[in-house]
Amino acid sequence: MFAQYLSYEAIAILMFSSMLLMLVTGQRVFGAIGFVASAAALLIWGTGGVEMPYTATWKLFKWYPMLTLPLFIYMGYMISESGIANDLYKMFHYYFGGTQGGLAMGTMGMMVAISAMNGLSVAGMAVGATIAIPEMLKRNYDKRMITGVVQAGSSLGILIPPSVVLVLYGMIARQPVSKLWLAGVIPGLMMASLFILYIYIRCKLQPELGPTLSKEERKISPLAKLKLLRAGIIPFLIFFSMTGLFVMGIASLVECSAVGALAATIAAYSKGRLNKKVIDNVLRKTLGVSCMFMWIILAALCFGAVFDGIGAGRAIENLFIERWNLSPWEVLIMMQLSYIIMGMFLDDTAMLVIVAPLYVPLIKILGFNPIWYGVLYTITCQIAYMTPPFGYNLFLMRAMAPKEITLLDIYKSIIPFVLVMLFGLILLMVFPQIALWLPDKVLG
Amino acid sequence: MPNLISSYVKFIDGITSIIGKVTMYLVFVMMFILVLSFVTRNIINFPLIWIIEMAQFTMTAYYLMGGAYSMMDDQHVRMDLVYGSLSEKNKAKMDLFTSSFLIFYLIILLLGSYSSLIYTIETNQKLFTAWAPYVWPIKCIMSMGILLMLLQSFSVFFKDLAKVRGLKI
Repeated sequence: MFAQYLSYEAIAILMFSSMLLMLVTGQRVFGAIGFVASAAALLIWGTGGVEMPYTATWKLFKWYPMLTLPLFIYMGYMISESGIANDLYKMFHYYFGGTQGGLAMGTMGMMVAISAMNGLSVAGMAVGATIAIPEMLKRNYDKRMITGVVQAGSSLGILIPPSVVLVLYGMIARQPVSKLWLAGVIPGLMMASLFILYIYIRCKLQPELGPTLSKEERKISPLAKLKLLRAGIIPFLIFFSMTGLFVMGIASLVECSAVGALAATIAAYSKGRLNKKVIDNVLRKTLGVSCMFMWIILAALCFGAVFDGIGAGRAIENLFIERWNLSPWEVLIMMQLSYIIMGMFLDDTAMLVIVAPLYVPLIKILGFNPIWYGVLYTITCQIAYMTPPFGYNLFLMRAMAPKEITLLDIYKSIIPFVLVMLFGLILLMVFPQIALWLPDKVLG
Repeated sequence: MPNLISSYVKFIDGITSIIGKVTMYLVFVMMFILVLSFVTRNIINFPLIWIIEMAQFTMTAYYLMGGAYSMMDDQHVRMDLVYGSLSEKNKAKMDLFTSSFLIFYLIILLLGSYSSLIYTIETNQKLFTAWAPYVWPIKCIMSMGILLMLLQSFSVFFKDLAKVRGLKI
């Protein structure tokens, strides 16, 4: 076999670059990764490599917590169909409409509430693009500002528990998901506050970006205004029935996602939104998105297994520590940079499955806390979700946003928010306690 | 397009559609199993031994059997830095070329699943768990899902070919 003539490092580099090349052709991500992985397996191990792609299905089979993925996706679509978000939006409309940029800040609040009910950014994007953006456009909000708000806000879905990304990280790094979820709470809220602070300052400086609502638009009796607060009850109940039960140790991880999915369905039913058409729609989208993720993970697992087989983990360790002689912090910064750069070209689920098994052992050797690193990774992922050319939020935004928002608007809208996120990331790197305090306090 | 090809496409798309529409309801099955698990474990304190494996079986069947439907629906993300700026026809051309890679991967996957299925049937394999269910039923379903995915990629291939040639399926 020709592989004998190449060093393992060369194979690893060859695999990586051919994968990037395949991705650029626009073939489906799972197909591109799966092809490179299976071709490499055959070239390196001959006919012995034939079973490698299939072996990955059994690895995925054993990843029991992956059951949360379809259930959270289902839940996300159910929540966006259920009308919970309309009530939330209405509440923020009356409570924040009077301040400059208030609706944008309120939308951020709504995104936090939705993130607490959902483990991905799908629900936030759907709700943001269909409810918040049209409403704010009507009131002359700056379209770039609000597009950015929805993109950045919905990305909190993977940081604020529940979070599918942290579940996946937990499996790869062998860390307890309960700790990871708790570690995401304060950084998530911090990030949301930073966003709100940014909107507040920006709208103070440029009031035309977020005009205040007129008196007539906010006219409402005090009693009705008080009643609007009820919009927060259902999200809280769903959050409690899911994350609450899990963190208290009553429900297991997968059970809590099923209970949450059931709760979202009941909420939709109680609002009279559940009919055959909605169910069909939700189920079809859930199947599509779940299969997309699962097949990518499947292909990436095979790729990762080949990487593991040729000892890529050791090679990177050698490169960073012995050859380049980097200090632990330099290694960490290198890792984050490589994530951000790779995240532009590579799907970030695949990135997690392929790269995290190489990096996490290194993190442990260097004496960093793997829980804290999980949160760092997630924030990097959030940034990757929004940065072109490849990002799920970009993808969804293009599909769902109203017509007057152009691709250029979408690309430009994220710049200030990405800067804010980088600032948050640095804060978290300097003060790990932001992430670690809560899990230490609750779980000891 | 030739009759044979267009009836192949119609036939495979029909099957994919039916299987996809059944498969999508498996979310409810997963929900049911896991909520049942929550109730039996915590409320009536009567844990069932088959819960975990059953949930795993359902999830595996869900994404493997549903794969073809999601492909027909074009739900799989692509990196569209270059691809997105192509015209519809050029997209189809590019796909014609790159789908050979996809098909290669699916064939290897199918070969692996087939030899694993044969092994399982010959040895009467069971899972090493308390419930110890037979493995062959799920392996059959897995192989069928992968096969359907492969057949569906050929169907997509033909549809792209028709687009490039300006023909109707």
